Amino acid sequence: MKDRMLIFAIVTTIIGFMIAVQFKTTNEPVVRDTRDILQLRQDLRIEKERQQELNQEIEKQLTLLNQLKQRDNIEGAMLDAINDLKERAGLTAVSGEGIILEIKPMYTDYGFIPQTVPAHLLRFLINELNIHNAQEIAIGNQRIISTSAIRDVNNVTHVNARRIPNLPLKVYVLANEAEKLHHEMIVSESVEYFAIENLSITSTPINFITLPEYEQPLRIRHLQPIKEES
Amino acid sequence: MWLPFVGLVIGLLLGFWTEFRIPEIYSNYLSIAVLAALDTLFGGIRAHLQNTFEEKVFVTGFFSNILLAAGLAFLGVHLGVDLYLAAIFAFGVRLFNNIAVIRRILLSKWTAKQDRQTEN
Repeated sequence: MKDRMLIFAIVTTIIGFMIAVQFKTTNEPVVRDTRDILQLRQDLRIEKERQQELNQEIEKQLTLLNQLKQRDNIEGAMLDAINDLKERAGLTAVSGEGIILEIKPMYTDYGFIPQTVPAHLLRFLINELNIHNAQEIAIGNQRIISTSAIRDVNNVTHVNARRIPNLPLKVYVLANEAEKLHHEMIVSESVEYFAIENLSITSTPINFITLPEYEQPLRIRHLQPIKEES
Repeated sequence: MWLPFVGLVIGLLLGFWTEFRIPEIYSNYLSIAVLAALDTLFGGIRAHLQNTFEEKVFVTGFFSNILLAAGLAFLGVHLGVDLYLAAIFAFGVRLFNNIAVIRRILLSKWTAKQDRQTEN
């Protein structure tokens, strides 16, 4: 009788083990890592870059904290921080070396003479400027910030919800290496795309230009800070 | 009487604590094997209640049923025929039969006990 119970116990143990393994397997299946060495390296690089960014951020915040801890200069530090943030958001006028792009009709004596720059071309131009390390951009007197919209409203191009002036239009660009950007813009694809619409771009490097600030209230809706995971 | 239940609990804990897992493609075979094992277990309980229990038959039946069921499923996958359905059907029917018989035996035992108590 006792032997019989022992056999039953062994059998139920095996069954229990099998059920547990099956349960675990179906609940959390083994996901195989099929990345090859190149992908792994790439992922590693991305993670390292991220780590570096985070470290820099930590360092910056710690410096700010230290400044705030020195009580006598607390207001100054806070003002500095606010000014720094404002500058980064594009709420202050900035100046430095850069280039001026002048957009005007290519031929005025025959054919279709455009009055304004189409929105898609303007977007293309800005993307290309950003590719070539432009620091700050202003179209006419509208500063481009991270939430700026270039839209076509009733066949008139609007930037920051303001219509852009008629041609000739000037685009001001701030860059660390203005000469390099100037050369890159001369041979850029934008020139060709603009030419299709009978528009020409002339680039002029300049030692000192001032870009206007973004003058409208910065309203951010439907956006919330999230707590980053991991 | 409680020994098999202790075994079941030990087996479950062992399975959950050890990080033992099988690849998902083999989970079908394991489920068939679990079914076969349960069938044998209930067959054993029935035999035990009917006093026809034989240890050798039980132990060999347990392992051979598991292997046969998993092997059948494996063969079915390679032949392109859903042979595991045969195993599920056979074991399922037998499982229900066995449980029904066990229920009846327990019920008759219980009623007999009740009758004896009322006689006393």
